[in-house]
Amino acid sequence: MTLFTKVGCEKCEYVKERVDLAALGVAVEELGPENPDALAHLAWHGLVNVAERNLPILVLEDSNYLTGAVRIRKYLEGLEGQAA
Amino acid sequence: MGEVMELNRGGPVPRDSDATDRVLFVRTSDMEIVNWDRSRIVEALVRETFLDRDTAERVAEAVDQMIHRSRIQVLTAPLIRELVDAKLIEMGLESARRMHTRLGMPLYDVEELLVAPNKENANVPHGPEATNLTLAENIKKEYALLAVFSQEVADAHMRGDLHLHDLGFIDRPYCSGQSLEYLKKFGLNLPNSLANARPAKHPEVLLAHMVKFSAALQSNFAGAIGWDAVNLFFAPYLEGLPDRDVEQLAQMLIFEYSQQAVARGGQAIFSDINLYWEVPKHFQDVPAIGPGGEYTGKTYGDYEKEAQRFLWKLFDVYAEGDASGRPFFFPKPLVHITEKFFQTEGHERFLHRICEVAAEKGNTYFVFDRGDTAKISECCRLAFKLEKSDLEDAKQPWRMRYSALQNVTLNLPRIAYRAGGDDTRLFQQLTEMMELAAQAHLQKKAFIERLLSQGERGPLSLLTMNRDGQPYLRMHRVSYLLGMVGLNEMIKIHTGQELHDSEDAFRFGLKVIAHMKLTADKLARKHDMHFVLEQTPAESTAYRFAKLDLKYYSPAAGSAVRGDVSRGEVYYTNSTQLHVGSPTNPVDRVRLEGLFHPLIEAGAITHLWLGEERPHPESLARFVVKIFRNTHNDQVAFSPEFTTCVACARTSRGLSETCPHCGSDDVEGITRITGYFTKISSWNKGKIGELHDRQRTAGYFSDAPSAGAGAAEA
Ligand SMILES: [Zn+2]
Repeated sequence: MTLFTKVGCEKCEYVKERVDLAALGVAVEELGPENPDALAHLAWHGLVNVAERNLPILVLEDSNYLTGAVRIRKYLEGLEGQAA
Repeated sequence: MGEVMELNRGGPVPRDSDATDRVLFVRTSDMEIVNWDRSRIVEALVRETFLDRDTAERVAEAVDQMIHRSRIQVLTAPLIRELVDAKLIEMGLESARRMHTRLGMPLYDVEELLVAPNKENANVPHGPEATNLTLAENIKKEYALLAVFSQEVADAHMRGDLHLHDLGFIDRPYCSGQSLEYLKKFGLNLPNSLANARPAKHPEVLLAHMVKFSAALQSNFAGAIGWDAVNLFFAPYLEGLPDRDVEQLAQMLIFEYSQQAVARGGQAIFSDINLYWEVPKHFQDVPAIGPGGEYTGKTYGDYEKEAQRFLWKLFDVYAEGDASGRPFFFPKPLVHITEKFFQTEGHERFLHRICEVAAEKGNTYFVFDRGDTAKISECCRLAFKLEKSDLEDAKQPWRMRYSALQNVTLNLPRIAYRAGGDDTRLFQQLTEMMELAAQAHLQKKAFIERLLSQGERGPLSLLTMNRDGQPYLRMHRVSYLLGMVGLNEMIKIHTGQELHDSEDAFRFGLKVIAHMKLTADKLARKHDMHFVLEQTPAESTAYRFAKLDLKYYSPAAGSAVRGDVSRGEVYYTNSTQLHVGSPTNPVDRVRLEGLFHPLIEAGAITHLWLGEERPHPESLARFVVKIFRNTHNDQVAFSPEFTTCVACARTSRGLSETCPHCGSDDVEGITRITGYFTKISSWNKGKIGELHDRQRTAGYFSDAPSAGAGAAEA
């Protein structure tokens, strides 16, 4: 799974602070002017336009995605629960 | 340029007179014959260069001696200038020599151009007007490279690191997009025009204004002239008109644009018309302007049916083609497919109709505007998303006029040759090349601003006319295009694989374009200019880059360029597209190429080459819906191929050597070169090479959808 974020995005921080992303194996891609890899990865998933209005984005293993910080948090907490 | 025009040894003086007491005469630009006077060289040098008078005197004296010592029978002005320039070089005065340069063409070339039959290409108009254009373009090109651009930029162009488009039109912006509302509100009221016309009262007059204004714009822009929501903005003029009249108007519109070969230099106006089945959201509540420039009291939302009636008639004309059944080359119909399209009554029938036209004639361009954000079409497929402040523009649609000032295209394969497989070097070179392209834009911008600063008395008076509180060309809104050619070959040289070969190769391609996009954004912030990526159509650039790379980067280039090297039919793949010959099926091609499109703000397109195939319209329609729903592709066009017979004036499907109707071998092939339909005999060698390689859809869309052609599985 990949979480797309960007600097200065409060909703992104919200998810990062509340969920142990590393433990769940979620890679974090931080979009920014110096990170073409992250933008290319975003484009590969066809999410460039989505990211213009919604960040963070969580891309799932099956390439579906979730937006909305609370939804992403709940989804990931659900996974944490399963793991526990 | 200097007044010393021609200098005849002898002239009116008897030929047998002794050399020592010969008097030399000069023919001036005023067609007068005056005595040879070397001080004219001095005056020219002092006026045109930074040389001081003493140095200029010394140059003139040396040239004077050279002329008198020589046994030359006829001296011409260009020769005098060449002698002066040779002397300047001899004396180490290089910068003065540069400023004193004479622009022009050799006698031989001019003679070839004016008198000899057109060997290269039987189709490019070759009349006196066309040769005027060629002569002027040649001089303006030289001027641009010497006087507008820095040496660094000009050299990069000459070497083929990048390509400065339309140098022959250096004194104009690149392309323009506008709406009919400007003409409806202000009439045809052009600077320096002998007669001004009030806003049109009748639809035919509005059409005449549109065509005239397009021609005026063609004289002020290098490239495409686009019109937004044409069917909608015509609608208030069509109320109560019988169908037959609307049909007539549709015919007139298309024929007017397709027969403009009598315009500038014998070139048709490169014209786009943007069309909508629905009333675009951002025009829904805008007060409509009708006959006489008066508000009709309704909004554009009320004109949906009239707009649809006109649109339908336009496609009837496209479906029929010209008198020989050939597709119309211009104007290009760009149909916008939006979420609202699917909510608008009758869209299924209309979609079927435009797919039929796409299948039969290939004209339809399907433009996909997804999401809620309103989008406005500019020129060059440049579309911008309406921000809040722009919505004010949409309320007064005559204000909506947009332009790209210039297009600069990068030679991506060359960057790969230079990087030698090293990622860091590749991206660094790419950044440097984009910075150089930005310099080229700054230099062109400065030049255009200089011309604009002269206002309505200057050369770009049309663009400075001010009818609504701002000049026609709104410099603060212009875009600066950064194009690319040969991403596919760049990736092949760098990684050993083409874009379609593997996911790794493809994703590396995405990284290159992501890097370009981020760099364009940085440059935009740095210079406060709107830099955007564009998929350069590259009709000649793809050929030029390949040829120059063979020259400078062989042997590596020998295996990287496409086409047939032995015949000189070489090219690179356009922009970010997959190679034309890749075996990728249409669904995957549209999906994969579409992943690049959101990074390319100035629009992007996928071409599907139908060849002989006559797709089933329903199969195409389903495919189009799936493209909208399931991909990120911005625009798709389907290109059939035709053979048109000069002997019997009939047109048949596919490319053949002889006419299937009458057997004549006097036939012409027609298909889409990149951005438009044209006769294949006018193509450059690179595009001929590409044509041989094009992977046709070969039966992919031929079946009715129920038969389960892959089209249904996008
Ligand atoms: Zn025939």
